[in-house]
Amino acid sequence: MSANATPRVSGGLVRIGPEEIGILADFSHAFAASLDVGETLRRAVSQIAEHMNAEAAAVFLVDPADGSSICRASAGPVDVVGMRVERGKGIVGRAIAENRVQLVRDTATDPDYLGDQKGFHTRSILSAPLDTADGPIGALQVLNKRDGALFDSHDADVLRLLAVPTALALNNARLTRELVEQNRIKREFQLARQMQKTLLPARRKDFPIVAVNLPAREISGDFYDYFVLADGRIGFCLGDVSGKGMDAALLMVRASSCLRWAGKDAMPPEEWLRRVNIELCETVTRGMFVCVVAGYYDPTTSVIEFANGGFPPLLLRRIDGSVLELRAEGPPLGILDVCEFPSQRVALAGGSLYAFSDGVTDVRGPDRVPIGIEGVRALIERVAALSPRARVRSIIGQLRKMSLADDTTLMLISDDQSPARYLGGIAGYSDPDNLRLVRRAVADVVKLVGFDERACHCMVLAVDEAVANVIRHAYQGSVEGRVELSFWLDDSYLRFELRDFAETVDFTRIRPRDLSECRPGGLGINLIDSVMDRWSFSEPHDGVGNLLTMCKHLP
Amino acid sequence: MTAANDCSVEDKQGFLVVSVRGEVDLSWSQRLRKQILDALATTRAVVVDLSQVSYIDSSGIAALVEGFQNARGKGQHFSLVAVSKPVHAVLELARLDRVFPIHANLEDAARA
Repeated sequence: MSANATPRVSGGLVRIGPEEIGILADFSHAFAASLDVGETLRRAVSQIAEHMNAEAAAVFLVDPADGSSICRASAGPVDVVGMRVERGKGIVGRAIAENRVQLVRDTATDPDYLGDQKGFHTRSILSAPLDTADGPIGALQVLNKRDGALFDSHDADVLRLLAVPTALALNNARLTRELVEQNRIKREFQLARQMQKTLLPARRKDFPIVAVNLPAREISGDFYDYFVLADGRIGFCLGDVSGKGMDAALLMVRASSCLRWAGKDAMPPEEWLRRVNIELCETVTRGMFVCVVAGYYDPTTSVIEFANGGFPPLLLRRIDGSVLELRAEGPPLGILDVCEFPSQRVALAGGSLYAFSDGVTDVRGPDRVPIGIEGVRALIERVAALSPRARVRSIIGQLRKMSLADDTTLMLISDDQSPARYLGGIAGYSDPDNLRLVRRAVADVVKLVGFDERACHCMVLAVDEAVANVIRHAYQGSVEGRVELSFWLDDSYLRFELRDFAETVDFTRIRPRDLSECRPGGLGINLIDSVMDRWSFSEPHDGVGNLLTMCKHLP
Repeated sequence: MTAANDCSVEDKQGFLVVSVRGEVDLSWSQRLRKQILDALATTRAVVVDLSQVSYIDSSGIAALVEGFQNARGKGQHFSLVAVSKPVHAVLELARLDRVFPIHANLEDAARA
């Protein structure tokens, strides 16, 4: 309520006497003390009619929607509250349009006069604009001087003067209303933001996932979530809803709850996204969609299995510093209900997986050009030596220094919280005669770690089976394939990593068979499955061959 | 553990007894398979003595399963005797301990 709320007196000098000063003071006081501007306006109109010795008085306010004027208060024999006068029409319209006092001594001679209302005959009219710095917001009008007299220029001056506190009060009320409304909306948005924040998972100490969401406005169209499944794997998802307004925020709420609900069933990622996609397709407004990456991280094998629907590529920074870009293999969700979202697998093996919404790649650098994937890679490289949480903090800090335009979300999954110790390994050719050596090595390591005889026998068997599978299936009996076996120990697990360099195997087809059927082949995976607490196939760092990771909880 | 891998066949108390020694793995489980199938081709009752087996993997188990299935198809006797602890552990893991007829020794097998 600054300078632009100050009403002005249009025209030249106003001649006023003590009487006018009295009523002006009353007016100003009444408006200043009033909480209900409508009621004050009604009293003011009566006082004006009284003071001006007029048969009737009214206040018209401009409706910003169409510029017409509506009567907000009236005094006199006929109640004209609610009467609407089109923009520029009638004496009121003219006073507002010209922003000048209109004195009509005889309505019969004025072509703009709109005619008598509700049987009240108007002979003469005096109409003064309610002027503010933003222009007239309405008009104050008196009709028919009593005793058949005519309004004169003194009356015009007085009305013009009375219009000043009236305009001021009305303008203040309008601004107050707007401010209240703005505050209300602001509070609503704050509540919505708080609400959204509660949807984000609580930050956890010593947890392999660190994530941050920076909304571009009060509310965000981005979201992320993670949760621990009963088997120890960690489900995670990251989404970006098209658009940025309240509609995007509401869709975000829907999408994130859908994802969480479906993800807790621990279904494979391709199925997870397929289901959520169908659900969203049924409910999402046409033209809106959600880009999502969702999957599971297995802390014991360090394997991440995920599916990506239209989300920006994930970046895997391996322990050797090389970076693998994992692009989306499915479209965004909520567009077509028959889409496929193929699962992808990657082993962290000491590395880190970065997932980020397009708000990160769209950040503009000093040259005003979006930094893109290359820019993100550079950021990741710069912070590589830091701890996971410090890395996320540092990247977000650097992004903030540039210009953030969109919702920005970053998630980091890393297994260097509790680094595994390398215990040793053996390498050799895929010759069954070497299995005996493999068994000796496994037995030595397992005993060293502190397992008992029986557990030792079981693990020897499981690893032997795994190597035999490599010989028989991956190398198809060739004795010249290279096989590498390494042993890792962390706080809770002994981990075996078996690497071959054969053709990539379709992991999804390797499942334990039904033991109730008795047949000679295919037992190996069952033995591995019953001995090991966790096992998983993945693609090795360099993309060549296969990597089988098997874990056994320490005794 | 030092016993050399080997399997031999002997005629004992009306059975052909296949005695297996050492660690049965992919490197020679085919040999065991052949011995068992050959034995089943020449007699109606085959017993596999596993007392001297310190290790057996799924390829060895597979040879036993195949023998068992062949014998059952032709109404022959096929059983395992004197199953060593390591072998029993694997049979248990594969839930085959209730599938194979298992006897403590040849006498028990003969009574069955």
